[in-house]
Amino acid sequence: MAVADFVKSARESFRVGWKIESNWTDPVLFATYQVIRPLASLLIVAFIVIIGASVGAAANSAFYSRYLAWLIVGNAFYAFVLQIMLGMAILVHVDRTRYEVLKNIYISPGTLHPYVIGRGLVSVVNGAVSVILTLLFSVAIFNGLLHMNIPLNLLGVNLLMLFPAVILGIISLLAIGYMLCAVNIVSNRMEFILGDSVSGIFFLLGGVIFPIALLPSYVQPISNVLPITFLLNTVRESFGLLPTGDYITDLAYLALTTLIAVIVGIAVFRLAEQRAKKLGLFDRKSEY
Amino acid sequence: MMLRSLSIREELLNNLRAAYARMWVRLRGANRDPISLVAEIGLPILAIGAYVVLYRAIGFPSTAGAAVIIGGAMVAFWTNVLWNMSSQWFWEREQGNLEMYLVAPVSRMSILLGMALGGSLNTAIRALGIVLLGIFVFQVPFQLNSPLLVGVVFLLTLIALYALGMLFASLFMLYGREAWNTANLLQEPVYFLSGAYFPGFYGLVPFAIQAAGSLIPMTFGLDAIRRLAIGGGDITSVWLHIIALVACTLILFPIARRALNYMESLGKKEGRLTLRWQ
Repeated sequence: MAVADFVKSARESFRVGWKIESNWTDPVLFATYQVIRPLASLLIVAFIVIIGASVGAAANSAFYSRYLAWLIVGNAFYAFVLQIMLGMAILVHVDRTRYEVLKNIYISPGTLHPYVIGRGLVSVVNGAVSVILTLLFSVAIFNGLLHMNIPLNLLGVNLLMLFPAVILGIISLLAIGYMLCAVNIVSNRMEFILGDSVSGIFFLLGGVIFPIALLPSYVQPISNVLPITFLLNTVRESFGLLPTGDYITDLAYLALTTLIAVIVGIAVFRLAEQRAKKLGLFDRKSEY
Repeated sequence: MMLRSLSIREELLNNLRAAYARMWVRLRGANRDPISLVAEIGLPILAIGAYVVLYRAIGFPSTAGAAVIIGGAMVAFWTNVLWNMSSQWFWEREQGNLEMYLVAPVSRMSILLGMALGGSLNTAIRALGIVLLGIFVFQVPFQLNSPLLVGVVFLLTLIALYALGMLFASLFMLYGREAWNTANLLQEPVYFLSGAYFPGFYGLVPFAIQAAGSLIPMTFGLDAIRRLAIGGGDITSVWLHIIALVACTLILFPIARRALNYMESLGKKEGRLTLRWQ
C-alpha cells in the first residue's frame, strides 16, 4: 500500500512538473528548445575536433572521425546530467520562494520524497528527448550534410547493453539530484550555483569530451569514483566505440557507485529534512 | 495642485541618481556573498579546463588555451547580460518590484543603465578572476603589445553587449516562463556562434557560422581582444572590429528605447505588467 501511495504521489508530481516545464509553449517549440542547447554544446567541441583535423594538429583523419563519434555519444548522454542537475538544483527554490508551495507539499500526506522523485523524472524525460534528438541531428549534420563518415550507427546499438547502463546512470543522477535538493532545503544561497557546479565537475572529470587518462594523474582517482565516468564508458561500449570486453566491469562499477549515491542521497535528504523542520525553513522567503 | 515641471538639468540629475541607485543595489547584492563570488570565478574554470585539455589532446598550440580563457571570461559577461539584464524585468515582476519602477518619475532606460553599470562592474571583477586563475592554472602564453587598445576594445564590447541586453530586457518584459527558457536557449548557441571556446583566428570556421555570429557584438569584441592579446596585433588588425562595435551600439540603443516604450505600452493595454506566476 505504501508503495502504491508513493508511486501515485510521484506520478502526480511528475504531471505537475511536466506541465510547469512544457505547457508554456507548443510541443514543437518545446522540442526545439530541448535540442538546441545540447546540440550547440556538441557543435562547439565537434568544431574544435574538425578544426584540429583540418590543420592536421595531431593524427590522421580516421582518428578524428572515431574521436568525433566518441565525443558525440558522450556529449549527447551528458544531457541527462545537465537536465537532472539543473532541474533538481532549482526545484526547492522555485517551489519555496517563487510559487510558495513547498510548505503545503510538506504537510500533505506522502512527504517530500515522491514529490522530488516525480519532479526529477520530468528532468529525465527532458534529458531523454535531448539525447535522442541530439544523436539524430548529429548523424544528420556530420554524416548527412558534411559527409564525414563518422562511425556512428544508431541502428547498430546494443540495446541490451545500453538500457541497464542508462537506467543505473539515471538512478545515480537522481540520487545526486536528491542531495542537491537537500542542500537547498537548508540553504537559500546555493540554488543558482549547485547545479552548474556539479554538472561542471562532471563535464571536466567524467570523460565527456576527452578520455580521463588525459587528466593529470592526481585528478584521475576522483574521476574513477564518479558514476558519470562509468555511465559514459558503458554507453560508448554499447555503441561499439570502446572495447566491449570491459562492459561488465564498468557496469559493476556503475552499479556500485549508484548504490553509494542512493544511500548517501537518502541520508543527506533526511538530515536536511530534520534540520529544516527544526529551524522552520520550509516556508523561508529569500527573494526580497 | 500641479507638480512643477523639471528643467532638463534636474531631469538628467534625477535619472543619473536612479541609475546610480540601481547600480548600487546590484553591486551590493552580488558581492555580499563570498561563496557566490568564488563560485562565479571557479565555475567557468571547469568548462575552460575541459576545453584546454581537449585542445592539448588533439595537439593544438598553447595559444589555443589562451583563446579559451579569454572566451571563458567574455562568456561571464554574456551570462550576466542574459540573466541579469534580459530577464531582469521578469524577476522584478515576479518579486513585485516592476510596478515601483514604472511609477517612479524617471526613465526606464536609467534603471536599465544602472543595471548595466552594476552588472558590468560585477562581471569585470569575476572576469579578471577567471583570466588570472586561468593563466595560473593552465600556464598559457599571452602577447600583449598594446594594453590601452585592449582596454578600449573591451569597453566598446561591453557597451555594445549591454545595449543588446537593454533590447532583450525590453523584449523579455512581458515573458512568463518563456524568459527562463529563452535565457537558457541563448547560452550555448551563442557560445558556439561567437566562437567563445574555439579560436576563430584559425580562419577555418564556415562563413555561415561567422555571418550568424556577427549579429552578436561579443563575436567582434572577442576576436579583436584575441588578436591583440594573443596574436600581438595592433590597431590595423582590429579597426574593422572597432567600427562594427560602435555601429552595434549606435543601432541597438535607440532600438532598445523604442522597444521598451512599445512593450511597456503593450503591457499596460493587456494588463500584464503585474501578472505573476505565468
